[in-house]
Amino acid sequence: MNLYRPDLKRFRFLRWFDFRSWRLGMIAYILNRVTAIGLVLYLYIHLAVLTMLAQGPSSWDPFIRIARAPWFLALDVLLLAGMLIHGLNGLRIALTGFGIGVRGQKPLFVALMIVAAVALIAGALKIFAG
Amino acid sequence: MSITLTLRILRSRRDVMPHYETFEVSVSDAANVLDAIEQVWAHRDRKLMFRHACHHASCGTCAVRINGREKLPCIVPVADYSGKPLTIEPLRNFDIVGDLVVDMAKFFQNQQASDFVITRPTENELVGKPIAYTGGMDPESASTIPFNRFENCVECGICLSACPTMAGDHKFFGPAGLAAIKRQLDKTTDPVERKRLLELADGEHGVWRCHSAWECTEACPQQVFPAESIMALRKEITKKHFRELFGK
Amino acid sequence: MSLIPHVIVIGAGSTGSATAHDLALRGLRVTVLERGEIASGTTGRNHCLLHSGGRYCVNDKEGAIECIRENLILRRIMPHALELNDGLFVAVSDEDLAFKETFLAGCAECHIPAREIPVRQALEIEPFVNPDIRAAVQVPDGVFEPWRFCASFLATAIKNGAAVRNFTEVKDFIFQGHTVTGVTVLDHRTGETETLGADMVVNATGAWAGIIAAMAEVDVPVVPTAGVMVTIGERFNNMVINRMHLPHDGDIVVPIRNTSIIGTTSWRVTSPDAIEIPREQIDSMRQAGELLMPILKAGRQRGIMAVARPLISKANADARAFSRTFEAYNHRSQGAAGLVTISGGKTTTARGMAEKVSDIVCGELGIDAPCKTRTTPLVSYREFYN
Repeated sequence: MNLYRPDLKRFRFLRWFDFRSWRLGMIAYILNRVTAIGLVLYLYIHLAVLTMLAQGPSSWDPFIRIARAPWFLALDVLLLAGMLIHGLNGLRIALTGFGIGVRGQKPLFVALMIVAAVALIAGALKIFAG
Repeated sequence: MSITLTLRILRSRRDVMPHYETFEVSVSDAANVLDAIEQVWAHRDRKLMFRHACHHASCGTCAVRINGREKLPCIVPVADYSGKPLTIEPLRNFDIVGDLVVDMAKFFQNQQASDFVITRPTENELVGKPIAYTGGMDPESASTIPFNRFENCVECGICLSACPTMAGDHKFFGPAGLAAIKRQLDKTTDPVERKRLLELADGEHGVWRCHSAWECTEACPQQVFPAESIMALRKEITKKHFRELFGK
Repeated sequence: MSLIPHVIVIGAGSTGSATAHDLALRGLRVTVLERGEIASGTTGRNHCLLHSGGRYCVNDKEGAIECIRENLILRRIMPHALELNDGLFVAVSDEDLAFKETFLAGCAECHIPAREIPVRQALEIEPFVNPDIRAAVQVPDGVFEPWRFCASFLATAIKNGAAVRNFTEVKDFIFQGHTVTGVTVLDHRTGETETLGADMVVNATGAWAGIIAAMAEVDVPVVPTAGVMVTIGERFNNMVINRMHLPHDGDIVVPIRNTSIIGTTSWRVTSPDAIEIPREQIDSMRQAGELLMPILKAGRQRGIMAVARPLISKANADARAFSRTFEAYNHRSQGAAGLVTISGGKTTTARGMAEKVSDIVCGELGIDAPCKTRTTPLVSYREFYN
């Protein structure tokens, strides 16, 4: 699609997805937005589930059965990934926003993402083992 | 030695929808991409609109996107792409005037808003020690005046094209404009002017709109480091607000 | 219909821009027509050297005197777009040293403030200059930025009522009898052709002046002479470093911002458009630059550029021997009244060229308006876009 078309001017944000211009900073930017959307969606699902559970014990047992299914556990891992990436990247943005670690923002991002990956692996093992 | 190069150029005009046109030109292997674009204009299509002046990264007029990345084509050798086809597009996040030419009016208004002076006293980065120097030799300026420099920023607009925030918020002051405010802040000691500059950078479409993609600093061909300037401005503005909170 | 005469200026390089400013200041209605971006011709790809005249003070005194006069004026009217760090002429060889007295005498004769400084002091100020230099003379050279140079003049012209139309190419002249009454233009923005009426047309197209003049079937003896410049991506000097001898290939290193420009060569070309750069010239340029500043060898090459200068043909001589002075031609005697051409010269002398051609324009129109550009400060180049 030709994003330079004048009639697409209002949708200029679509240019975020021009992958040819993706560098590390752009990847971090997009990851932050994608995870943010994911986390907001999760919050609404979470509320819906809580409302359902509040109906009493009859709804509790089937839910536990679903929650133990491998596909559901995989979703938990995805949630954990979103939390780690968004949280740790947010930490970097907050720090640099205060002028801390400005020159080292790229290594900082890489280091925080390594932390996220390690925590994610540990978390995933725990989720599937438990 | 000359090489044959394929250029895919995004063409448009007020009455022509943007579309790609492919040209083949022969250029010297020592040429830069801007020379290739100029060859297209000279030998293929005299209607091609593109901006260029100094051909050595001083004027900042020629900025375009080469294969999706913002560049000053005057300092990018064609050899960097080893004969592969090049896609040449105008900068993003600007209105297109025609072909590769974008409208810089709003950009320059923002640059002017901070009264950003394009020259600065040198910081003696070459010698590392102050020089006793009487420049000009004009009897009227017999006092010692320091060497001066043009600012690093050539006002090419590349950082605005690379900025994802700019794509979402066309009112955003932009990395170049904010970096200009920071430079001007460094140059002035007048408290009234400093206050004005900080207020200019503050606000919804100022430094707080930036979402730390750092693409401006990555794309900048001139070591201006706009993202670093934005962060430094945030620090200054936060300090100012804290002081005001405690009534100072 | 306005009673104020309308003047069309063709070309928005340094000459055209300064002419538009001069005429607008004299109260005329001015329209500038430029086929591309402003300063996209010779002005853009020049050395950026604000001449003190030192380079011409021996073999082209007329050019040198114009330079120092305009240099001092530009310092007053556009200080915001200049790097003013002076220049240094250095003697590298015995012949250069022998040339010193001639050089100093030339400077004195042309009223160029020049002072010899001890070699040791020169090397202290400029530690990266060849340590074997024999003598050093300081002159008031400077550096300008070509695009901002033109934009400053145009911005001021616009403020005084001029219209600037870039990406508008002149295709033909309109005649009524033997008088030029307008031009036909192609506006590249819209793709449309239109005609514009004018009381006078100024051909300020520099190296292209001959081509434009030919459209009106008149002659301009301008010889497009190409030169190559090599840009190094580092800056090692504060002042402009010149070699103290008669102007030659690769004898000057102009620092601008964080780069150094080495120049320049000189050869005649047939067409001033999109000149091919001969590779061997790049190498010879770098070698010549390294003789002045050995450290340039370590610098990474950043850009190369070539463009045609407009030299006025006065005799059948070597390209370097042409005077760098300018000339204005009133084409009335050639059967094209209402058309004048200004060409030759240098960006440094653009204001002086504008004054000369504007005097002719006003004379032709019977207007008595003095030139005010010597003392009128220019507005910021950014206002070009307002």
